[in-house]
Amino acid sequence: MSAKTMPNTVKKRAELALNDDFLRKAVKFTTERLRNGKKNASAEHGNWDEWRERGRQIRLHTIAHLDYYLNMFVDNARANGVHVHFADTGADAVRIALEIAKNKQAKTVVKSKSMVSEELHLNHALEGIGVEAIETDLGEYIIQLAGETPSHIVIPAIHKNRYQIADLLSEVAGEKLEADTTVLAGFVRKKLRENFLEADIGMTGCNFAIAETGSMVLFENEGNARMVTTLPKTQITLMGMERIIPSFQDLEVMATLLPRSATGQKLTMYMSGITGPRREADADGPDEMHIIIVDNGRSLQLGDPEFQELLNCIRCGACLNACPVYRHIGGHAYGGTYSGPIGAVLTPALNKNVAEWDDIANASSLCGACYEACPVKIPLHEMLIYLRRRKVEKGHGNKLEGAGMKGFAVLMGNAKRFRAALKMGQIGQKLVVRDGGIRAKIGPLKGWNSYRVLPSLPKSTFRQRFATLDQEIRQGLQEMSPEIRGRMEAALKKREREGGGGHHG
Amino acid sequence: MADTHQEWLRKMEEQSRAKQASFMDGIAKKLGRPRLAKAPEHPFRGAPDFWNAFEWTPEERIERFSDNWRSVGGHVARLSDMNAVRDFIAGKAKEMGARYVVRQNEAELAELGLEEALPEAAVSVWNTDPDTYWKARSAEADFGVVMADYAAAYTGSVAVLSSKDKGRSVSLLPTVLMIVIPVDRLRTRLGEVLVEFDRAGRENLPAGIHFISGPSRSSDIENDLTIGVHGPGVVYALLVG
Amino acid sequence: MKVSLFITCLSDAFYPRVGEAMVRLLARYGVRLDFPTVQTCCGQPAFNSGYWEEARDSARTILEAFEDSDFVISPSGSCTGMIHHYPKLFENDPAMLEKAKKLQAKSYEFTQFLVNVLGVTDVGASFPHKVTYHPSCHGSRLLGVKDEPMELMKRVKGLEFVPLPFAEDCCGFGGTFAVKMADISGAMVSEKVDHVKETEAEVLVGLDMACLMNIAGNLRFRGEPVRVMHLAELLAEGAKLA
Repeated sequence: MSAKTMPNTVKKRAELALNDDFLRKAVKFTTERLRNGKKNASAEHGNWDEWRERGRQIRLHTIAHLDYYLNMFVDNARANGVHVHFADTGADAVRIALEIAKNKQAKTVVKSKSMVSEELHLNHALEGIGVEAIETDLGEYIIQLAGETPSHIVIPAIHKNRYQIADLLSEVAGEKLEADTTVLAGFVRKKLRENFLEADIGMTGCNFAIAETGSMVLFENEGNARMVTTLPKTQITLMGMERIIPSFQDLEVMATLLPRSATGQKLTMYMSGITGPRREADADGPDEMHIIIVDNGRSLQLGDPEFQELLNCIRCGACLNACPVYRHIGGHAYGGTYSGPIGAVLTPALNKNVAEWDDIANASSLCGACYEACPVKIPLHEMLIYLRRRKVEKGHGNKLEGAGMKGFAVLMGNAKRFRAALKMGQIGQKLVVRDGGIRAKIGPLKGWNSYRVLPSLPKSTFRQRFATLDQEIRQGLQEMSPEIRGRMEAALKKREREGGGGHHG
Repeated sequence: MADTHQEWLRKMEEQSRAKQASFMDGIAKKLGRPRLAKAPEHPFRGAPDFWNAFEWTPEERIERFSDNWRSVGGHVARLSDMNAVRDFIAGKAKEMGARYVVRQNEAELAELGLEEALPEAAVSVWNTDPDTYWKARSAEADFGVVMADYAAAYTGSVAVLSSKDKGRSVSLLPTVLMIVIPVDRLRTRLGEVLVEFDRAGRENLPAGIHFISGPSRSSDIENDLTIGVHGPGVVYALLVG
Repeated sequence: MKVSLFITCLSDAFYPRVGEAMVRLLARYGVRLDFPTVQTCCGQPAFNSGYWEEARDSARTILEAFEDSDFVISPSGSCTGMIHHYPKLFENDPAMLEKAKKLQAKSYEFTQFLVNVLGVTDVGASFPHKVTYHPSCHGSRLLGVKDEPMELMKRVKGLEFVPLPFAEDCCGFGGTFAVKMADISGAMVSEKVDHVKETEAEVLVGLDMACLMNIAGNLRFRGEPVRVMHLAELLAEGAKLA
């Protein structure tokens, strides 16, 4: 489905996904595989929480001093012979990239996977000036042929089956290709090999940028990012302004966290550190190298205590694989460049239009699986609540829900009113209760009762029963053993010493 | 054209330098403080201490490296000396019918005498002739032969560094890649290799540092693992010594 | 020492038997649970939906109710977890913030209190049935309640424990999520019930009645005869206290 025909709420887009049986199964299968891979890899490596904490600290530190480290990176990259550019907005970044392409009189650009490029819709812009942009990551190539966008950060074509892929590739080949992975991948290898050797420009994203040496680092499995940075005469790298880490030593921590979290690998098949264009006597590597440093909404998170940690994200996709909502609805239902829990927070945050943004922040049960999976411990489940709150504060909450919550506050702000309401419920439910349950799909119960039976309220609430119960207990109450008393006293003492919170995970 | 392009680059450079200050000022302002002039204290640099103390014996390193390399579909041969390396490569070339071989221009590889050992194949030496289009030469090669600069056992990775004599293409474009790894270059942790680049410093880094951990792969089609998507699909780690 | 019961609005209204089980179980160890009636709801539905002003109204009843308790015990990891959000909720109100921090420090999910404070793991219960367990997300992930229920179940005589496949996956409840995103939530709870069925357990046990209401609702909707209980109920019944 193209982006234009997509409905404009997550709820509607999810409905479509939920009715697409193949998609649901494919997404479930893939995320399951990646999730297990991650679990095994992190367990095998050991001390995972210590590594996560270290990763988090390095990212926190770098972002907290981003002016210093980014500036250092820029100076060093320049000293390496790189042309560095700054783009405040996506439009600025596109303008710079197009200008380079025009100046190089480029006809073809080969690209390795870059989420920033997806953010900018750069391929479309390149085509607009007559430059062919070719995605070379196998999955990206497939969805580019299909005219779609990635639905997963790590496995972009997660939603396509081999028959659909064979059809797409057969069209390019001009002959019928067998729906066999080896055949299809073999065809792409041959086809893209020509493009790599002939393209004028190679374009990449950037996993990490090393401040102290001005190097940019790429993780990949296929070798296409190496092709793109080795063969064309000009290289353009699109880099989110927050991709910085201080040193190669810090890269060890990221290299430990990223592949394990993304795919369960100890390391991706290739990890490349590119430090400037080719040296004068080298016989390969680009003659000219550009790095476009992109803000596009990122700096809006700086200094915002609730969202600054978003910039710690290393784009591993682990939160997507862990998310039960993502597993059921797939990436396109999120309606932005980034999907899953990170997308649900990042998309409105980058756009800074929390208020206007659709119901994306509602597409979460707040189960916290994303936080648990995150290699740099970003509290996405809490950020989702902050997003919802900001929307309400700006007056863009759902009117019906707002009224409901006012009622909630009135009811729950006072135990007497709560008690009265329960009593009313006990009486009122008689109209709809059958066999101790409510099945009627009426009013707010419609969604709930489409999948469940609601229990009826019992004859008496706990508060109605307590006095009798307490009476009964008082008679048969056991003497507290000295051991138990001792433990309780110790817990109180410990709390006093530590000032609270100590017994929690 | 060349002049106008250089001119354009200069113009862009000027704009960029002008923009740099305001870009950084903007970041500092959002962070709610003046620009940092001095390096901040970085107490969390690199891996945790317990990790930095971790080291395997040389034999263990070889074993674990080999296990890792094989587990991703790579091949390993443990060879006693460079003569054995030559014989191994020659044997494989014969077996697979390799007709074009490209190798890095390194003393250790020159001493192998592959040219004599492979009379049926055309052996080229990277960047030894200015009129050859070396990228294409590598692309048509059946075998690429390179020396490892470093290797790390824990992740099963080899590092190759570029120079005028060491093409990035040689480890990337041929169908089969032979990596010769003298065992004294094999470390335990990735960090032991990475720290070398911090020590070397920016001015001494090559344009390309590539860690290779096995054959090129993808699972992008229905999660079905495919080997050799863009890079070499057959990769030999030849551990020597 | 004053040990107070934070019953949660859901158990108060729908599952009074869970509170009863807790009262009876703790009485065996000489703990007489106190029940301050000014308590209503922790405020989580409003908080999670972004209505913090409304959440504060509700949270104030909880802060008031347990002001002079030494321990506050709740049959829900999620509602206990909500108390952990109180400091954030009242971050701009120094007086309330102080109270919020105090309450957070003394709040315990039921099994946390039983196992970690009282040191009780064997309540002398017998329950000869096949049982599976759903660890609710907030209790297990945010409070870290993982081993406590296992320790308790391990020591129940005759109890045959069957692990739930994909146990850690959310059941799809998520408060207002189940209403706002009914179809996604429905798909999630259906999957959870598929897994429950795979275990062939007679009883599904858990530590959070909201999640259990959700799962039980789908079980009943599909006509599955699996019994759904809070672990406190299982222990009380097994110890013949019910």
